[in-house]
Amino acid sequence: MSDNVLLKVEHLKQYFKMGKGELKAVDDVSFDIKKGEVFGLVGESGCGKTTTGRSIIKLYDITGGNVYFKGKRIAAGTRDFEDKIKDLKADTKLNGKDHSAEIEDLKKQIASAKYDHKHADKKEVTQIQMIFQDPIASLNPRMTVREIIAEGLIIQGMKDKKLIDEKVYRVLEMVGLVREHAGRYPHEFSGGQRQRIGIARSIIMKPELIIADEPISALDVSIQAQVINLLNELRENMDLTIMFIAHDLSVVKYFSDRIGVMYFGKMVELADSEELFDHPLHPYTKSLLSAIPLPDPHYEKRRKRIVYKPEEVHDYSKEKPTLQQVKPGHFVYCNSAELENYKKEVRE
Amino acid sequence: MERKIDVRNLRVSFRTNNGTVKAVRGINLQLNKGETLAVVGESGSGKSVTARAMLGILAPNSIVESGEILYDGKDLLKMSEEEFHDYRGNRISMIFQDPMSSLNPIMKIGKQLTEAMILNGKANQRTAKKEFNTRFKLLKDAMLKAAEENKSLSAETIQSKMEEFKKISDKGIELTRAYYKALNSAKECANELAMYITDIKKDEPKNIKDELKETGAKAKQVFHAYVISKENTTYEKKLQNYLTKITSYNNIEQADALISSMKELREELEPFASTVEPDFLAMAYYQSKKPAARVTGVDINKLNKEMRDFFEKDFLKDFTSLVAEGIRYSDRRASEAKKETTKKLKDSIQVYEKKTLDQKECEETAAELTKLVENSVDRLALKKDNLAYVFDSSLHSAIKTYFEGIPKNQKEEQRFAADTEKYNKAVAKGKDIGKPIPALIVDLELAHENMILTVKRLYEAYDKEISGSAKKDYKVLAQEMIEHLYIQAHKIVHKITKGMAKYHAIELMQEVGIPEARKRYKQYPFEFSGGMRQRIVIAIALAANPDILICDEPTTALDVTIQSQILELINRLKVERQLSIIFITHDLGVVANMADRIAVMYAGKIVEYGTVDEIFYEPAHPYTWALLSSMPDLDTKEKLEAIPGTPPNMIHPPKGDAFAARNKYAMQIDFEEEPPLFKITPTHFAATWLLHPNAPKVKPPKIVTDRIERMKKLEVADSE
Repeated sequence: MSDNVLLKVEHLKQYFKMGKGELKAVDDVSFDIKKGEVFGLVGESGCGKTTTGRSIIKLYDITGGNVYFKGKRIAAGTRDFEDKIKDLKADTKLNGKDHSAEIEDLKKQIASAKYDHKHADKKEVTQIQMIFQDPIASLNPRMTVREIIAEGLIIQGMKDKKLIDEKVYRVLEMVGLVREHAGRYPHEFSGGQRQRIGIARSIIMKPELIIADEPISALDVSIQAQVINLLNELRENMDLTIMFIAHDLSVVKYFSDRIGVMYFGKMVELADSEELFDHPLHPYTKSLLSAIPLPDPHYEKRRKRIVYKPEEVHDYSKEKPTLQQVKPGHFVYCNSAELENYKKEVRE
Repeated sequence: MERKIDVRNLRVSFRTNNGTVKAVRGINLQLNKGETLAVVGESGSGKSVTARAMLGILAPNSIVESGEILYDGKDLLKMSEEEFHDYRGNRISMIFQDPMSSLNPIMKIGKQLTEAMILNGKANQRTAKKEFNTRFKLLKDAMLKAAEENKSLSAETIQSKMEEFKKISDKGIELTRAYYKALNSAKECANELAMYITDIKKDEPKNIKDELKETGAKAKQVFHAYVISKENTTYEKKLQNYLTKITSYNNIEQADALISSMKELREELEPFASTVEPDFLAMAYYQSKKPAARVTGVDINKLNKEMRDFFEKDFLKDFTSLVAEGIRYSDRRASEAKKETTKKLKDSIQVYEKKTLDQKECEETAAELTKLVENSVDRLALKKDNLAYVFDSSLHSAIKTYFEGIPKNQKEEQRFAADTEKYNKAVAKGKDIGKPIPALIVDLELAHENMILTVKRLYEAYDKEISGSAKKDYKVLAQEMIEHLYIQAHKIVHKITKGMAKYHAIELMQEVGIPEARKRYKQYPFEFSGGMRQRIVIAIALAANPDILICDEPTTALDVTIQSQILELINRLKVERQLSIIFITHDLGVVANMADRIAVMYAGKIVEYGTVDEIFYEPAHPYTWALLSSMPDLDTKEKLEAIPGTPPNMIHPPKGDAFAARNKYAMQIDFEEEPPLFKITPTHFAATWLLHPNAPKVKPPKIVTDRIERMKKLEVADSE
């Protein structure tokens, strides 16, 4: 089972400095993505979905935690170790205990994390590619489609122009465009076509994992279906693994095998998509599901939205919650009292 | 059912460098009172353009080719900009897509909410003043001229009567001003007191004390002003009580005592807010004739009637007949001029109808015609003759466009020909022309037609008017004129103060569900989340109490939970304020919740039109099927039926059914002839040849039929 895991995210933390304090955009998120699956990440805007995606692809230097790709550590943060050292030092001061051996050990771990983060294999990292949300803003308007798509290859050191061209043509055809499009500029394309260019740019590197950050939310309805179908095709043909970030739950349900629900930087529920939609456990997931509009007027007129008020539902004064397994493959962010309740709910 | 908006055969196109984009191509829509009409379609299908046409905010390069949008008996498309100020925001209001870009980032929310209210008030004052003065002068001139003709009237009486009227209205304005000043202060005080009563316990004493003192000062002003007579000692006592309570208010325990004194003061002030307004014009006359008469302390309705009767009998009766004479004269003169102009227009249209036009002749005739038309306009009439007012500019621009499109010498001719050929070639290949085509390639035929039409439309309108002028009742017109002047005079005074605007704004913010509105009032847009920002936009749209709300994709930029909150809010406001809503979106899921009726648009046309149940449970048009099948729902497993290709280029709209090229059910006739709107039920229409009796019977795609089956099953299960 474990060798099936393509990407493993452990206690990922991404904090941003904001004025005096820190914004905990992603706070202790762990999950794995298995090879060949589509992992959906949903949540409202500002909950840290995009930040998670960007941290994995090393667009940000992560604050804490580890990211393993194919078993190798590609990104690591040092905040956890630093905090521990601080605690130990304080303990020494207060109680006079000697922790120097532990501190030494932690320092070594920091060094190794820093080394791994800095010296991650570039070739490996290029096997993770990203598709961005806005197809207009993510393509350079001064580059032709050929230049945009081939840029990654050239940076990798490929010099043979013929070979590059051939590769560009091949991916263009794969995403449903034609050779002639290579010489044009992004503004000459429609929104759907632009998103196809973005996809072509990401698949030319022969990636194993694609992080698709809301690839369809800026598109028209009819074009959305085209892009989803294209991603589905590519996934089959190229044996891709996809991490699909979106806020449109119907699409995520349709497209993903497993889904993680995020709320304010935390992963609150993680399960197979069928399981999640049939038996949502966390109150936030329930509220999110109750908000999905469906193309059915009679259902819509009856639909009651469940409002999620964290301060009323949870009582975390005694015990802090963690992500815990309620039943195989179904994780919920809760403390032990809640866990019992959820388990009872599952049994019923 | 009362019809609110009636769009008939609307056609709008945009002039761009690449040619004319035909954005809306003949649509018919009806919006009834209290219903939500959803307009669904892809981007570029013309749904936003339709909405913008209703508000008169089309881009400057747009051309309204034909059609009418009827609202309240008026055509919004032919309305002048000044008239539109009355409608935009006040009657019809709009919520835009992106709450981030529709708010000003460097202005506090409160200011943005009150800005329009205050500015609108100021602008109204200014225009009203101008309108009153010009109208008054025109009327006077017309009356004097009428006196010259008609020996039974003497110029002196007219002069003196007009002067008297002016004096009365001036006096009326003075009275109104004094009245409103006092009334507003009273209202503001009452409102503020009501507001502070709820806040006083939450806030620190030192925070709120200054504001309370200000209210006290305002309350003093009320006391000194017109409304409250000086004998009213209870008010004075209560005010004094309130002021002492404020100065001694230092800790929260004293709050209750302060609140009770505030309540007392408020009770004293509140009745002013609900009093009937006195009839100021009549009052002014009454006072000038009977200066000794007491006007305070009497029941206001009775007083109004008494004063009005006196005013009617003593002054207005004679004055109305004089005004009627003036209007009759002005109208007759205009009719005569119109007859002459019509004749001339009909004669000179052959100048423009020639195959080859002479520029000099065209321009000279145009100048001559404009002079005549200008002369024929009845400037005194309250209903403005839009066609005549714009005749000059539209004819001249038509002539200019036409002649600039003709090459002047051989060299230019060659260049034009080459450019045109290049352009045509590119178009024939179906290529999107990257660079702008030469500006001088204009459709000469269209320009020529425009020229002829401008002239033709005017004389047709004149013909109609002349035949109708015999039936005019000048007495009624005169009454309308006096009423109009009175309204203008009233508007000069009517003012919205900052305090009133603030109170309204906070009330609105509470209505759209913003917690702690008083605190939020002082914040900037960036301090609000997306959903809250959209609520502010909705509050601004509702500020002037419109009865039609146009929502242009109000939730597209928001995520699911916020989206459903906003939709709930709009639905609630619709019921509470009895709004009629036009809801524009591309998301059919959203529509199911909101709409009563749905119009599906594609390539500038309505392809299907029906109630919400009909569209979702019995869709008839292939495009509706495609839209429904291209979105997954929670039970979708099979491959999505994406609509192949992209929407057509509207510079060259395809022949026949615009959707044919992307439609797998398309038949030969779809590429040749445009389908008419077939009637399925009295409320359900669809424009597709599939509904023709000779068409083969086709079923909607499996994904759609499956879903409908499922939905029906669900319903049966539910009803059991």
